Amino acid sequence: MSRAQHTTSNQQLDGAGNGLFTIAAAVGGIGLITALILGALMDHGWDRFFRSYLYAFAAVAAVCLGGLFWTMVQHASRAGWSVALRRIAENVAANLQWMWLLFIPVMLSPWLSHQYHWMHPAGDPLLEHKIPWFFGMSPLNEAGEQVGHIPWFWLFRAAFVLFVWAILSRFFYRNSVAQDATGDVNLTHRMQRFAPLGLVLYALTQSIASIDWIESLEAHWFSTMFAVYFFAASCCGFFAVQILVMKWYHRSGRLTTEITTEHYQDAGKLLFAFGVVFWAYIAFSQYMLIWYGNIPEETTWYMVRQLGGWRMVSILLLVGHFVLPFLLLVTKHTKRVTTVLGLIAAGMLIMHAVDMYYLVMPTIPGDAIATAASYEELRDAAAAGLVEVNFHPSLMDLACLLGLFGIVTAMTVKRMARHALIAQGDPRLPESLAFENF
Amino acid sequence: MSTIVIDNTFEDPTRRAPLVLNHHDFGSVTDEVCWVNESPKPPLAWYITFVISLSLLGMLGGLIMYLFATGVGVWGNQNPVMWGFPIVNFVFWVGIGHAGTLISAILFLFRQKWRTAINRFAEAMTIFAVMCAGLFPGIHVGRVWFAYWLFPIPNQMNMWPQFRSPLLWDVFAVGTYATVSVLFWYLGMVPDLATLRDRSKTKLRAILYGIFSLGWRGSMRHWHRYERGYLLLAALATPLVLSVHSVVSFDFAVAQLPGWHTTIFPPYFVAGAIFSGFAMVMTLAIPARQIWGLKNFITMRHLENMNKIILLTGSMVGYAYSTEFFVAWYSGAMYESFAFVNRAFGQHWWAYWIMVSCNVLTPQVFWFKAARRSIPIMFIACLLVNVGMWFERFVIVISLEQDFLPSSWAYYKPTWVDIGMLVGSFGLFMTMFMLFIRFLPVIAIAEVKAIMPEANPHRGHDHHDDDSDHATMEARS
Repeated sequence: MSRAQHTTSNQQLDGAGNGLFTIAAAVGGIGLITALILGALMDHGWDRFFRSYLYAFAAVAAVCLGGLFWTMVQHASRAGWSVALRRIAENVAANLQWMWLLFIPVMLSPWLSHQYHWMHPAGDPLLEHKIPWFFGMSPLNEAGEQVGHIPWFWLFRAAFVLFVWAILSRFFYRNSVAQDATGDVNLTHRMQRFAPLGLVLYALTQSIASIDWIESLEAHWFSTMFAVYFFAASCCGFFAVQILVMKWYHRSGRLTTEITTEHYQDAGKLLFAFGVVFWAYIAFSQYMLIWYGNIPEETTWYMVRQLGGWRMVSILLLVGHFVLPFLLLVTKHTKRVTTVLGLIAAGMLIMHAVDMYYLVMPTIPGDAIATAASYEELRDAAAAGLVEVNFHPSLMDLACLLGLFGIVTAMTVKRMARHALIAQGDPRLPESLAFENF
Repeated sequence: MSTIVIDNTFEDPTRRAPLVLNHHDFGSVTDEVCWVNESPKPPLAWYITFVISLSLLGMLGGLIMYLFATGVGVWGNQNPVMWGFPIVNFVFWVGIGHAGTLISAILFLFRQKWRTAINRFAEAMTIFAVMCAGLFPGIHVGRVWFAYWLFPIPNQMNMWPQFRSPLLWDVFAVGTYATVSVLFWYLGMVPDLATLRDRSKTKLRAILYGIFSLGWRGSMRHWHRYERGYLLLAALATPLVLSVHSVVSFDFAVAQLPGWHTTIFPPYFVAGAIFSGFAMVMTLAIPARQIWGLKNFITMRHLENMNKIILLTGSMVGYAYSTEFFVAWYSGAMYESFAFVNRAFGQHWWAYWIMVSCNVLTPQVFWFKAARRSIPIMFIACLLVNVGMWFERFVIVISLEQDFLPSSWAYYKPTWVDIGMLVGSFGLFMTMFMLFIRFLPVIAIAEVKAIMPEANPHRGHDHHDDDSDHATMEARS
């Protein structure tokens, strides 16, 4: 195939995004307003708001982070086949430039909600041990009473992390867009040179973020695998979104000749490899080692996720995030029928949201765990309703999730309309257009 | 043919660099690779290496006899370092094998065409490394005549292995790994064995290569079946890259021991395994391409790519070390913190710092282009990585020497038998490798041909594209 054949379809979004933009912005606005109203009306409404908001932020930020990771990997590995898709990742990742704005409620939550127990370390030896990590300087006076209330080090890290994400996503977005007009090969060199460094920074900041914002919700618990788990989850979120965006472009009559079935198949492979298999590998390794070791200080985290309604969520993840998509995606046929692949991707995006829910929302009924004689006793008590397992899915969760998802989607669509939908000036674009699976 | 030095390490996003240099037809490729097997005599370096390796192998055999005759007391293993050198060597060698599987399976699925020049001997290395690895648990069981009890074989006494033990999972994991690796390696070699058969000058060679090439005639139907089989085996081997070393890591991580029980172990061990494996591939490839004149196939670009993977995986290992250390403190678990501080500043501090400097610091030189392209630097760096990765396992295994019970604290010391067996295992590895180089095709001839521009059916027919575009449209890898 010659290049001329590929330049015929529409590479600009133009007005095609208007409908989605309006819907997404409306959903986002309504979602957030609903969440705020619920926060004011519900019992412990603001506590719930901040927790649900953190959940929604984690779910949405994970998708954007996956996009950033994938953009940099393509540059670091001089990828050719995927150039036609790269702008999707760049557009999704570019949200990280302004997502620090969305982080503000999370940043305020140590004061405005009770979700971070490490804010009140006095009298808890483990939390007192962790003071340097969260506060830097000790907030306790000599009598052991808490006098300081600003977790300096935690705030500093959050600022650092958000700054690095903004810089990285801006760098790769800007340079790629600049190349559209000029086709300047030096921009490719530039991005290739910085991508490996960017990946190092990414590993560092993503680990800090997942430990600081999510793992520390259960301030006594620890797992060396946690950051890797969050990374796997972010890959799942992004690779599902990537397929959905491809599908949306095609339905809007965009990039109809540039993005081919071959690209769908490979996008499906990525979802299969990272979002399904790698995720399951990490989740299994973490679970199995903690289950096998059976040390109380580690098992609490999983114990609460196996009580009451959380048990169903765990099983749903096992089946819906691994078994079912594994069986569906293992064959090439489902990956090449774009409607089927799109449906699977939509399912995986929902499972990503469930996964984040499972990660962020459960709170440990500490006393019940501490006093129970055995797991079986605890389980039976939970089943009989004698132990509060804190499984209360609420409209608030959905409102926050749709709120942030809507806003980020709207902003992404708006950005898509600003430039070409494909990296027009990338010197490896012809290779990507001619790409075929064997 | 005369060899002109061509720099194919250039960075030009508009075209893909040539991966085979100084060859413009398939015949000369076959000639050059087959020369390694067909030259009347191998180079002097081969004889020297082979004699040394064979002597070390002999020593290993002698030491095993001595071990069997005397008992495992000849090793430095003690309570609480029950495993000592044998498990260190086992994990080290299993790790080495991983590069072969990664190159042949994962890089194949990632369509990394440069893999074709190195996959054959990396796969061979995998098999020989797994042989070395399998040796150590086998001779460690004490009563070796019962070693077959490792397998779940029904018998009259109803003696079953402990299915809940990761050591048994290892038997399955490593067994599967060895089987699939051998199949993969052999399947890929069939077309090249047929080439050697067809070129045989002596009856014996013709018969032997003839038997092993399974009647390959290179027909369209053969190739079709072959490529389907190859793809399927690659897909089956891919999870093995992750699973084998994950199961090996479970040997440690399921235990409730500080320094061992940590959830990041599986991916951390896998990254470390690939890291050490690539270092070993480099250690073998750099001299081999020199001695047998394979620089047209294993080009500087190949070496540079491998150096990048070493940088990547070395940094992953560094990430795991730091995470472990951080969480040991963050957890507030005093035994965990003690284990890590003790590793770094306790009686075996030197082993820990050898590990960190070789595995984390050394590969960082590959951030610099000049280091990635300098043969002496990369060779030394890879040797250091080999050392460092052996010490990583050593550090993990012997961190038990100061366990929960201070009365059993001791200084773990290997005996001369321990060290002799470690050295001897290199003898086994290198002996096999030398025989492989001499008698089997060291480079996947058919696969290398497929990534040459000449393999592109459109070459020379499309007048709209200039020559550089062919590189982007090369045939499949």
